[in-house]
Amino acid sequence: MDQKEFDRLASISRLRLDENEREKFLKEIDEVIRLFDEIEKADVDSLEPAFHPIDIPQRLRGEEPEAFGNKKELLGNTKIYRFYVVGPKI
Amino acid sequence: MTSSISKFVRSEKREGYYDRLVTDLTGLNDRLNAFSVIDGNMKVGFPLSVKDNLCVKGFECTASSKILRGYIPPFSATVVERALNAGFSFLGKTRMDEFGFGTFGINNDKPVRNPFDERRVAGGSSAGSAVATSIMKYHVSLAESTGGSISAPAAFCGVVGFTPTYGLLSRYGLIDYANSLDKVGVMGRSSQDVRYLFDKVKGYDRRDSTSVDSALKSRETKNLMIVEELLDKVEDRVKTRFLGFLDRLKGNGYSVESVSAKDLEHSIAAYYIISMAEASTNLAKYCGFKYGLKVDDFTKGYNDFFSEARASFGAEAKRRILLGTFVRGKSVRSRYYSRATKIRRAVINRLKALTKKGLLISPTMPVLTPTFEEVEKLTPVQNYAMDILTVPPNLAGMPHVSFPYDYLNGLPLGAQAVSDHFDDYTLLDFVSEWEKGFRYEFKYNLGDL
Repeated sequence: MDQKEFDRLASISRLRLDENEREKFLKEIDEVIRLFDEIEKADVDSLEPAFHPIDIPQRLRGEEPEAFGNKKELLGNTKIYRFYVVGPKI
Repeated sequence: MTSSISKFVRSEKREGYYDRLVTDLTGLNDRLNAFSVIDGNMKVGFPLSVKDNLCVKGFECTASSKILRGYIPPFSATVVERALNAGFSFLGKTRMDEFGFGTFGINNDKPVRNPFDERRVAGGSSAGSAVATSIMKYHVSLAESTGGSISAPAAFCGVVGFTPTYGLLSRYGLIDYANSLDKVGVMGRSSQDVRYLFDKVKGYDRRDSTSVDSALKSRETKNLMIVEELLDKVEDRVKTRFLGFLDRLKGNGYSVESVSAKDLEHSIAAYYIISMAEASTNLAKYCGFKYGLKVDDFTKGYNDFFSEARASFGAEAKRRILLGTFVRGKSVRSRYYSRATKIRRAVINRLKALTKKGLLISPTMPVLTPTFEEVEKLTPVQNYAMDILTVPPNLAGMPHVSFPYDYLNGLPLGAQAVSDHFDDYTLLDFVSEWEKGFRYEFKYNLGDL
């Protein structure tokens, strides 16, 4: 992976890396991608992908509202303004 | 072997038990770093520790990550709720590799130390759960495995680590690493203790869309198989002891067949591609204003705000976000992610065909418990290669159990048995048979009655 491509990857990953991290990850990531490239040799074209290890039955819940026990506790991990969660500008 | 849980429950010496246990545990924990939280409140039930990626209502839950510091879940994971309802007492949260990203229990603020030799690692990612089990006489732990996070530390700490079939234990209240691979499991000092807790927490949970309620099988089998290609990866001194263990099993009436399974060759690469792809999306929820760490400056634009929060991830988490984002990229997705899911299919097919005939058995880890210095020298790829024996059953969601079979230089050696989907009890019965002629060794027995 060249430096330009790596910087783009870090940018879309929303990771700000310092110079030491950048140098270290760039080298290590190349090594890991070489490991990943090994799977090209696998003879698996005719197989169906397995998105889960077992068959998962599609059991959807009904569209029924449920109240969470304690609203204050639920919102306790956020900054609140008049029962609204405060977040950054989008 | 009788369950230590029934012995504990029958005991009349439990007055003041918790006070003494918590005092002794706190002292030893200062050195071993197994617990991030110890609950000092008085209790009377059988002590239960919980890996720090499972929510316990009212107790900080961080998955050993700085980004979740201060997060207090307003609910308990289903498995925790069921264990507490069954009479277990919550003792504390156990330290782990950040979000489960690690094989040695060192990717966190305080690396977990092995009770058999504190210069050595405990294994990961459920490091604290394994150490807690190894140091307390009466105790079980709820842990979790994605690619070997129960087997590896169980082997290095000399305890039983059981990873059930994918979907059998609810993931509701589990902090996700990789949804299609994460499995809650159990650690204990005997197969009986493990089975007891497993039976109390298993079962369908409508709050987990991947939960299943299939009937579990148990069958008598005396057929064991070793996979040649996997055994070749094991260092000589471990392999020699393992072959001696197989001889003892043969003496107990088991047949051992050597089989070839070349389909497993790409398991490690496929596992890391899938797990990193899933992890990189799961970690996007930690954005600086919900859960744990908060970024105060709301005048910043969203991307700056988000990036500032993500600076708190550790090195391995950042590496996995980068690689996971990379393999999901539109131009390479079919080359990596899609192909990896087909390799998972090949691994499932192969392991199912083999386990129809009996149990697969191997050493749990390819090396004797390493020191911290030895682990520091490993590159990421060398590090990932340590999972070579634990990844195949995890990738395939098949039940597996690690248990001690011998000791070398004062360190436990673990073997891992693998069975077919939903054949979970066969594994626990197998370990139970082995325990009849095996004497567990532990360095500490805190909380003895």
